[in-house]
Amino acid sequence: MKTHKTRIRSVKALKQILVYLAVVLVALVVLVPYAWMISGSFKETLELQSSDVTIPELRPSWIPRNPTLRNYRDVNRTVPMLRYFKHSIIISFGTMIACTLLALPAAYALSRFNFRGRGVYTVSVLATQMLPGILFLIPYYLIFTTISQRTGILLRDTYGGMIFTYTSFALPFSIVMLRSYFNGIPLEIDEQAMIDGCTQLRALWTVIVPLATPGIVAVAIYAFIMAWNEVLFASVLTGRSTRTVAIGIMDYVTATGANWGGMMAACIVISIPVLVLFTSMQRYIVEGLIAGATKG
Amino acid sequence: MKCMSGWSRRRQATAYWMILPAVAAMLLVHYIPMLWGFYISMHDVNLFTMVDWMNAPFVGFRNFVDGFNPATTTGARALKALQNITVYSVVTISAGYVIGLAVALLLNQEFVGRTFMRGLILLPYITPDCVAFNVWKFIFQSRIGILNRYLVQWNLVTEPPIWLVGPPALWAVTIASVWKGWPFAALILLAALQKIPPELYEAARVDGANAWQQFVMITMPQLRTVSVMLILMSILWNFNAFNQFFIMLGRDPGTAAEVPSTLILREAFTNLKYGIGSALSIVLMLILLAITTVYLYVLRGTAGAEEV
Repeated sequence: MKTHKTRIRSVKALKQILVYLAVVLVALVVLVPYAWMISGSFKETLELQSSDVTIPELRPSWIPRNPTLRNYRDVNRTVPMLRYFKHSIIISFGTMIACTLLALPAAYALSRFNFRGRGVYTVSVLATQMLPGILFLIPYYLIFTTISQRTGILLRDTYGGMIFTYTSFALPFSIVMLRSYFNGIPLEIDEQAMIDGCTQLRALWTVIVPLATPGIVAVAIYAFIMAWNEVLFASVLTGRSTRTVAIGIMDYVTATGANWGGMMAACIVISIPVLVLFTSMQRYIVEGLIAGATKG
Repeated sequence: MKCMSGWSRRRQATAYWMILPAVAAMLLVHYIPMLWGFYISMHDVNLFTMVDWMNAPFVGFRNFVDGFNPATTTGARALKALQNITVYSVVTISAGYVIGLAVALLLNQEFVGRTFMRGLILLPYITPDCVAFNVWKFIFQSRIGILNRYLVQWNLVTEPPIWLVGPPALWAVTIASVWKGWPFAALILLAALQKIPPELYEAARVDGANAWQQFVMITMPQLRTVSVMLILMSILWNFNAFNQFFIMLGRDPGTAAEVPSTLILREAFTNLKYGIGSALSIVLMLILLAITTVYLYVLRGTAGAEEV
């Protein structure tokens, strides 16, 4: 009896050890690229350029030989990173506000009203998610060009044009995400508010919006991050006056010169807004993502 | 939801007003450009006709034929691109799913630091593409990259491989994409795992089922619906993959690592053949549509149809 118990205990202990080994392995796989990024951001240009995998003394190492802050200090020297940063902030904030304002009533209507065409509309919202972005890009570019020619309104390489583009692309998923959040709020609350004399719209503003704040914030952050990270449209539609960080960062490593240290420092700098926003609202965003992906 | 008949007409009107702004935005950005996309694909829109592209000559399906004619550079590349994206997607999706499932099962165990690990694995997912793939580009550098250091140091290779040029480039991008993609699968699968009622496992244990049997008979069937959606979404995302190729390999990834998105982008905005670019992107959309339809159809044929 006793030996049996100890055997069970040792099997359990062995299982625990295996679990921890697996956890460490997963953590390593996740963290290694970040370690390389951070280490690179503190290396001198000379060290980076002279390193060579074939020569043992010059092998690239994890610990910088002469750690330096120069890459951070000079982040704006060769590449106008601060300008790109400003463009990205404006475009992402604009997208965030526009997207939330448009998604809010649409998601509420989808969640609360049983109107004709609701099914078609829901399907069309979901369908836009599967279409290749590149499919829109060519007509977009040409339409923007034509509008500029005919009306003089510039859309390419302007904040307005970029915010408009990103808002519409973040919109479908935002609506789906927010709708599932609204679905979680009992209908009785609206009804109660309406019995108390609120109209449906007032019920939305005064009762539902405060209750749905976490969901709304999650959508807002999703829109912000989407605009911050977008590459395809930015590579074609932005130019000198709206180039975003996602494209601008590639200036560090070009055919003529590779400033990897500068690029890694910039990588860290531009990750910060995303990481801060995400971690501050992690729980809601994760819930929203799961809901949007599975209940769609 | 109950429909309150008394003021249902007014409610209908309110509902339409509420979705109107979103519908308008989506019409302007999705549906109208898409129709113009069809129009462009049927017309010879190029450098010369671009200024007045709405009046470019009509060419019927010639752009589609030219776009896939193996005798031309573009056609040969288009066919290769489809082949590449298929290889890339199959590997990325299966690896992402298997790793995601394994980690989800691991994080569903009891251990110290579980909450921390759940946050940690989200890091690759939330890291901006432009950051993650530039870091991987740095890792894969032939002479100064950390990967080749170990390959050389441990005598796994004699000459440091050049990862980002030629055929290895596709694999380098695939590895980076798997690293970036599996946390999403893990996140979704973990959420689904936690919804499985524990009674199912207790009943199975009473019946003497071992861990593997429990996994096959309970866990996998319970994860079915979520896995179907997850894999479908991964197919759509990966077939449209652009960022990783563009960031790691540049505007022209070379024939061996060409994918539809990079080819279309270059065809349209570097070679200024907008008509052919549009035709190719419509074919890409049709392929995705076909995959989605077949995939859902096949799944409907098997058990659990109503869940899909």
